[in-house]
This record gives sequence, C-alpha cells and structure tokens, in this order.
Amino acid sequence: MISVRNLNHSFKIGKKGKEKQVPVLKGLTFDVADGEIVSIVGKSGSGKSTLLHIMAGFLTPESGEISVQGIQTSLFKEVESAKFRLDHFGFVFQNFQLMPGLTAFENVELPLTLKGINKSERQKKVKDLMQSVGLTDVQDHYPNELSGGQQQRVSIARALITDPPIIFADEPTGSLDSETEQDVLLLIQSLNKTRGITFVIITHDDEVAQTANRVYRMHDGVLTEGGAHHAI
Amino acid sequence: MQFKDQISFVGQHIKKNKMRVFMTVLAATMGTAFLIVLASVGFGLHETIRGEVLSNRLVTQIEVFSSEMDEEKVAELKKRDHVKAVVFRQNIGTEQQSSIGNFTGNNPLIVTDFIEEEKANFELQEGRLPEKANEVIVGSNFAEYLMNQQDENEDGEFTTYDGKLIGEQFIYQVGDNEGELIEDEMMLTIVGIGKKPAKDWEQDQKIYADASIIPELEKIYYTHVDKPADDHSDAEQLFYGNVNVYADKLENVKAISTALKDDGYNVYSISDELDKLDVFFLALKAGLVFVGTIAILISSIGIFNTMTMAVTERTREIGVMKAIGADPKLIQRLFLMESAWIGIVGTVLAVVISYGVSMVSNYVLPIIVTAALGEEDFGDMTVTFSVIPWQLVVIASTISIGVAMISGWRPARKATKIDVINALRQEL
Repeated sequence: MISVRNLNHSFKIGKKGKEKQVPVLKGLTFDVADGEIVSIVGKSGSGKSTLLHIMAGFLTPESGEISVQGIQTSLFKEVESAKFRLDHFGFVFQNFQLMPGLTAFENVELPLTLKGINKSERQKKVKDLMQSVGLTDVQDHYPNELSGGQQQRVSIARALITDPPIIFADEPTGSLDSETEQDVLLLIQSLNKTRGITFVIITHDDEVAQTANRVYRMHDGVLTEGGAHHAI
Repeated sequence: MQFKDQISFVGQHIKKNKMRVFMTVLAATMGTAFLIVLASVGFGLHETIRGEVLSNRLVTQIEVFSSEMDEEKVAELKKRDHVKAVVFRQNIGTEQQSSIGNFTGNNPLIVTDFIEEEKANFELQEGRLPEKANEVIVGSNFAEYLMNQQDENEDGEFTTYDGKLIGEQFIYQVGDNEGELIEDEMMLTIVGIGKKPAKDWEQDQKIYADASIIPELEKIYYTHVDKPADDHSDAEQLFYGNVNVYADKLENVKAISTALKDDGYNVYSISDELDKLDVFFLALKAGLVFVGTIAILISSIGIFNTMTMAVTERTREIGVMKAIGADPKLIQRLFLMESAWIGIVGTVLAVVISYGVSMVSNYVLPIIVTAALGEEDFGDMTVTFSVIPWQLVVIASTISIGVAMISGWRPARKATKIDVINALRQEL
C-alpha cells in the first residue's frame, strides 16, 4: 500500500550564508501493507516526524520515492497533494488540532464540507460516526469544553469521516493520561480490525509502539525493523 | 466546498471578530460615502446649470433659415422625428404703429401658431390665448414702448403707458411699401401678456397674433400696395417668416440639425455650447471621484490590516485545513470573500448614508445660503447641491469593492503560503 524507496531529506540550519546542511532521513526504504498498524518509534529528533510529514505530502523529499496504492505521491504539486490527502488520508495529531471555533460535530464534519458533500448527507454520516465512537453526548461542545480523551476521539472521528484507507497518527497519545491512552489505542485497534484501516503511528513511547503489527525503529535518520526497544 | 458552506464559514469568522470587522466596515463606509457625497456635488451643480440653460428654452431650439419658407414646409418639419414643436413666426416687413389714446409705439406684430408656441414653452404671465381674429397677446414690455409724445416727465423723457392692458383695445396700423402708415385701422384687443424673458436685458414689446388676422391685414395692405405676381417674390410682400424647430430632447438636437443641413436649410443651435459645458462638468466630476477615491484608498489600509491580522490569528487553523486536504485556492477564496464582504457591506451602508446626506443637504443648504446672502430665495433658479445618479453609485461601488478585494488579496495569498508543519506547531 505505502512503498518508500531510498528516501533522503535534510534541513538547512543556521544564519543565511552560513547555513549548515543537516541530514534527517538517510536512504529509508520500507513498506506498509494494507490493513496494517505500523508504528515508527524513535527518540525526539530522530527524524520520525519528518518521515510522517513527507509521507503525508506536507514536505517534498530531497530524493527518493513514495508511492501510495501505486500512485507516486512524492512527485505531487501542492494542489494535487492536498486533494490526495482529502481522499486517501486521515490525520490524528498529538495536540488534537481541532478548530476552536467549531463544535465537536462541526469539526468532524469539516473534511466532508471541504469535499463539497451536501449538508444533509454530511450530517447523517457525522451523526452515525459520532454515535459509533461514543461522542453523541458531546457533539455540540466546543473543543475547550472537552477532556483530552474526548478531544482525541473527536480528532479520530474527523480522520475517519471520509473513510480513508490510511490514517497517520502523530503521537496520538502524547497529551493523554495512561487510562485515556489505553482507550485511544483500543479504539485504533478496533477500527483497524472492523474497518481494515491502515494506521501509521509515530511515537516515542514503546508501549504505544507495541500496539502495532509491525514496529520500525528510527535512529539518527535510519530505520530498522524490530520488535522490542532494546533491539536498537 | 460548496458556495453556501464557504459563505457560512466566512460568516462564522466575521461573527468571531465583530468589533474589528465593524470598525473596518465603518472605515470603508466613510471612505465610500465621502466619495459619493463629494462627487454628488459635481452632479448637483451640473444638473443645476444644465437646468438653468435648458429653462431658457434656447438649447433645444434650432433656428432654421430658408428663403422659401411656407406652411407646407413647416408641416413637413413638424412630421420629422424628435421634433417637439415648429414655430413659424411671420413678421411684418413694413412700418407699423400701435396706439392707446395718446400713447403710440412701433411695437412689431408677429403672427404665430399658439399651439406650437405652447409646445415650445411659450408662457403667459397673465390672461389667456387669443380665440378670435382681433385678439392678441402682448409682450411683457409692450406698455413701456407706448409713449405720449406730447407729455414729457421731469427728466425730459416722454411718459409711457401705465394703464391696464388685459381687455384693453388698441389701434393698429401698418405702413405701405413706402413706409407711410395706411389710414385704415384695425382694433385689436389684448387678452394676455407674455411671460417676462428669462434674461434681464431682454425686452419683449411685441404683439402676438393668430394666423386668422392675416386676411384682414392683407386686405388693408393690398388695397394700397400692388399684390406681387409671385408668392415668393421678396418685394411688396407683407409677411416674411422665420422658423424655430424645437427638439423633444437635447440629445436629439444634433441629429435634427444635421438632417436639416443635409436638406439644404441653414440652421443654428446652441447645443454645441452645451456640449462644452458637459465636457467641463465631466472633468470636474472625474476630479471629484479621484479625490474621493483617495479616501477609499485610506480606508483600504484598514481592510489590509484586518485581513492580515485575521490570517496571522488563524495560521494554525489554516494549517489544519491544509493538512486535512483543503485546496490552497479555497483558502485564498475564503479570505477574499471576507474582504469582499467588508467592501460590500461598507458600500451598501455608504450608499444609504450618502442618499440621506444628499437629501438633508439639498434641504438645509439652501436655507443656510439664503440666510447668509440675506435674500429670500435664489430668484427663479432652482439650486440642487447634491445629486446621486445611479451611475455614481455604480462607479463608487466598483471602486470601493474593487479596492477592498485588492486590499484582501495579499493577506489571502499569504494564507495560501502558510507552511502546514509550522502552522501545526503553533501553540493553541
């Protein structure tokens, strides 16, 4: 489903004229299969977030190829990339990234609104989904009126609403307590099983990483496949 | 994203920043209202002066000269398109005298068609139009030209007639071809007095009679003078005529004049002079619109600031939308719609306010000006200080909404260029 080949990327840091090129991703090659939960685990600064940004099309890689469902996304222009994201990807972020001026219901509705779907159709779909993830009671609440766990559920519902084949989760439990963390991880696993959605989870937390079917470890821009943290 | 969703999205953002948007709309309103009111003064003055010129009934008048003018040709002229009236005035080409008692004068008699005269704005200040052959109307200065040559006043001038005119009978005599007055007299009755000419220096001492007077006058004249063999012979003819053609509208004067020239008539109209007046006022109005546009440009700084702040404040939200998959063009459109909304609301309010200011100024300013001048009114002149035609509303709206959208363009472009990764990193 997702195929990454020989991916390289570096950042320029320092003052203009005295910039230094710092390599972040060094020749990454790996695959993510359909219906898999893959976690990429690594310390802060290891390059895991950059990898997610490139896979999601937020960044254009220096070199290498990424293809999703056989389509080479690394060659996309900004507009094409945005359209592809809307149709194929869902996103769950560490700090939820909900729109503060919209209610939980409207936040979940947003991707469908962007897709230009009719209001009645949108509302029916959002209502059903919110019921299935247990958010009906809080649907009219604004994000600042919700707990962290509820916000992340809303965020997951927003990622799910367009029925994307792939969901990228960037530190999905980073802002949650351990009890809520378990709830969210169970929800991810259940969605993976019931809907066959592929999850790519970026985390620094080994415990979260273990939820995945496959764990990739990132260290200094290099990716290795392995089960346990001590294997690095 | 559907258009109605875009509108509701923009509406939500406007609601969130009511005060800021209100102040920006206020600035746009003030700028646009200033433009409209300022330019409306130009339109008002133009209308006033145009009205003044037109009221002199000269602008739509085309003087037509032809050596062979007769009723047949006049009838042909009346049939032409856009001709409101054709006044065929026939003057008497010889000596003539009018007298009431000891007062005598050489007031000229003119034979005309009163139906056509009325169409061409001929007005009476007193009395009515003639109904019988010996009934006439006299000009407003008729009496001043009737003098008693046996009676001088203290300045050594002959005294003039100051009695009543309406209903009064007077003796009218024509001269022969040698200029000697024919003894046969006609008794004419004054039934009306013509309106005073609009210009102070103009005097109207004439006698206006209907064509039914012609047979009797010709009878008197031709008993002493041989009738010419040919109707069109210059010599021995009692009447000679001149024709004024009146167009229905000023715009049609040119077309009628050109057609008449093409048909061999000599014509004169002052519409060309009015064209110059229009050009002057067009330049004046353009200048006023230009000055008003500067006010709109100043208000556009407010729109630019508001939109730039909106983009900066919503950086994270824009980042989230782009991350989810919003088209950058959609984001640009949403911000442009917001600035256009400010421009449209500001313009609508400005138009309403401007009409109010215009109405109030047209009511109040004449009172202030007349009080300052110490006169009761402007005389016959109707002064309009401010006029807002629809064209001015269209021009001002185009400038205002256009400037608002241009002001929002740069912030909107900035919004599309927001980096998703940096935006998502922003603190809540």
